Amino acid sequence: MKTNFSQLTLEEKSVLARLKASLALRLAEEACACDTGLQRACPPRGVSMKISIRGAGPVLGLRVPQGSRRSGPRPGRRPSLLLFFPSAEAAVRVFSGVKGTAIPLPLGAGALAALAFFRKTSSRATELLRAPDTSKETRARLLLAATLYGLEAIAGESYLVRRMQIVPDGVVGVRAGEIAYRVAKKGRIIHVQKDAPSAVAPAAAPDSSTPNALLSFADYQKAIDVLSGKRQAVVALGSGEVRIEGLLPLVQGLFAVLDRLSWYLGVEI
Amino acid sequence: MSKVADERSNAAGSLAGERRAGISGSRFAASMAYFERAAKVIPGGIYGSKSPGFLVPGHFPYYLSRAQGSRIYDVDGNEFIDYLCGYGSQIVGYGNPAVDGPALEQARKGDLLNQPHPAMVELAERLVGLVDGMDWAVFVKNGTDATTLATSIARADTGKQIIVAAEGAYHGAANWCSTNVFPVFTQAEQRDVRFFPYNDVQALEALFAEHRGRIACIILTPYHHPTYKPQQMPTPEFIAAVERLCRAEGAYFIVDDIRANFRLDMHGSHRFFGAHPDLVTMGKALANGYPISVLLGRDSLRKTASSFFITGTYWMSAVPMIAALATLDEMERLGGAARLAALGGMLKEGLESLGREAGFCARVSGPLAIPYLTFDEDTDLYLNQRFCAAMADRGVFLHPHHNWFISLAHTEEDIARTLDAAREAFRELRQQARGADSSGG
Ligand SMILES: Cc1ncc(COP(=O)(O)O)c(C=O)c1O
Repeated sequence: MKTNFSQLTLEEKSVLARLKASLALRLAEEACACDTGLQRACPPRGVSMKISIRGAGPVLGLRVPQGSRRSGPRPGRRPSLLLFFPSAEAAVRVFSGVKGTAIPLPLGAGALAALAFFRKTSSRATELLRAPDTSKETRARLLLAATLYGLEAIAGESYLVRRMQIVPDGVVGVRAGEIAYRVAKKGRIIHVQKDAPSAVAPAAAPDSSTPNALLSFADYQKAIDVLSGKRQAVVALGSGEVRIEGLLPLVQGLFAVLDRLSWYLGVEI
Repeated sequence: MSKVADERSNAAGSLAGERRAGISGSRFAASMAYFERAAKVIPGGIYGSKSPGFLVPGHFPYYLSRAQGSRIYDVDGNEFIDYLCGYGSQIVGYGNPAVDGPALEQARKGDLLNQPHPAMVELAERLVGLVDGMDWAVFVKNGTDATTLATSIARADTGKQIIVAAEGAYHGAANWCSTNVFPVFTQAEQRDVRFFPYNDVQALEALFAEHRGRIACIILTPYHHPTYKPQQMPTPEFIAAVERLCRAEGAYFIVDDIRANFRLDMHGSHRFFGAHPDLVTMGKALANGYPISVLLGRDSLRKTASSFFITGTYWMSAVPMIAALATLDEMERLGGAARLAALGGMLKEGLESLGREAGFCARVSGPLAIPYLTFDEDTDLYLNQRFCAAMADRGVFLHPHHNWFISLAHTEEDIARTLDAAREAFRELRQQARGADSSGG
């Protein structure tokens, strides 16, 4: 059943705000890593900015180093901009493309350039997801980032408390072609990290460095089909297009979080 | 065209032009084709514990069409020696004429009638005489019906709310005990179910102390058979502690014997472990696969049970009751628990020593008749999955995540063939591991 934003509890509103902000940041970073046009447009010293939403937890950060295909929050230069949202609703509205209040607070030189670049990368990420000629790898990268960072953003909420309790702790390696992540679940927290594809491959002799479970997509297209909802995950699993190995209850537990993620993404603004 | 071939072409034909890479081109093409169709009209395609993701896709069939004795046959015509036995429900073998004969005869005469068939009385008398310490019987359909009724009766009788259960134990799919942990249930039906680690006397004592005066019952399987984990036998101290704590609290002790029933002891698994429950639930093997479960109880709970409104449209069907009576006879005739333990012992010994020879710490846990193999070196079950996949490739159906079952239809020859396949499967695993070592991976 579709839910309207006004029907959400206070906690759900702030989780949704944090989720939307987090997805905007991570997709922006991912778009920069994939798109040479964006890399060229990046200000000379890279971009570092923060987002803060009143009542929605700690600040979130964006870091795009100049001239590198790699991206992601890394220690580096101080943020030049804090984008402040006075309420969860304001953040949800802005990140859903609806008019809302966002207050840019400069923290140093290059604040305006950072804001302009963030806007550009966000809209480019949306464009890349929509454009038919986006390469399969790029589309899979964006969808996988949105899914996994989405899990990370919502995992701690109280709706999922009991569910997270019965899911064993551990690390899931997620792999599609050259894209690889480690998703660590501990207690109520999910932490997502990029990894080398070789570290997230099925091991013939599992050892302590092997993730507790592996979730692998047969190729980029299969990943796209499942992550975009075109192909039911259960069918893809049954047909071997998606494989799960190792500690199944860990992955199944994440699927339950995934269901909650799609509920959040379906909230009408 | 044979029935199997018919099924294959039915399934495949309806998927024309829709074949995908992977399993659809394999020896499970018809299974996969049915599954694709199912996913369009059935949530999850195949839901629950039979879902393909619970097995190892590509190595196991999804749809079976028939079975005989210890063998199952899938819709692609593949044959397997089966060690899942319909999740334990087959104890005297698929299609056993000693059971199916009288059951089918009754089916012709009438199954679901307005009033019960006299077989209900005979079966209740038989079970009350057979199962240690039990004075009455109520018949239901699923195991979940029986466990739900048991805990409800304990609650009504004591006027207390809390149910104590072991972490990881499965007692059915009802909201109070299932893994559907949505807040709407956790805040209602699941709120008063409290868990402790199995065999942990201290933790159990602490739980009883914390909820003194509020505990209605403890529900335990006769031994611990959690999914994805090695099985655990109860320690004598643990059973003694359960009984002592229940007495002091005025709480009832329920043994959920649905999975193990009759495989350990014809008088109930509680006799095997020296336990003295107030209520016992049984199902699965009770009628060799015909749908019936039972709640058995002591006299002390008869009055409360009588005051319950207990009914279900199909709960008094005659055929499963006739089948249950015949199954009990056949179990005894075929040697019962002793025979199962002898076969299970051969399997355990063989698998463990073949595993050792190949350099693995493969360990079979649980009772001999309900074995489960895990690898000490891999608690994440990667090796289980590969081993069971390799066994399935060789025509032996062993579940990688759920305990197995021996039936009275298994033969020494089945076990020998299973061990031959296991020798090759362990070797395959060892070769994979060596390959990984030499490639530095
Ligand atoms: C110990 C135990 N209790 C209860 C049940 C539930 O039985 P059913 O699936 O018939 O409802 C099962 C089923 O696997 C079981 O193993």
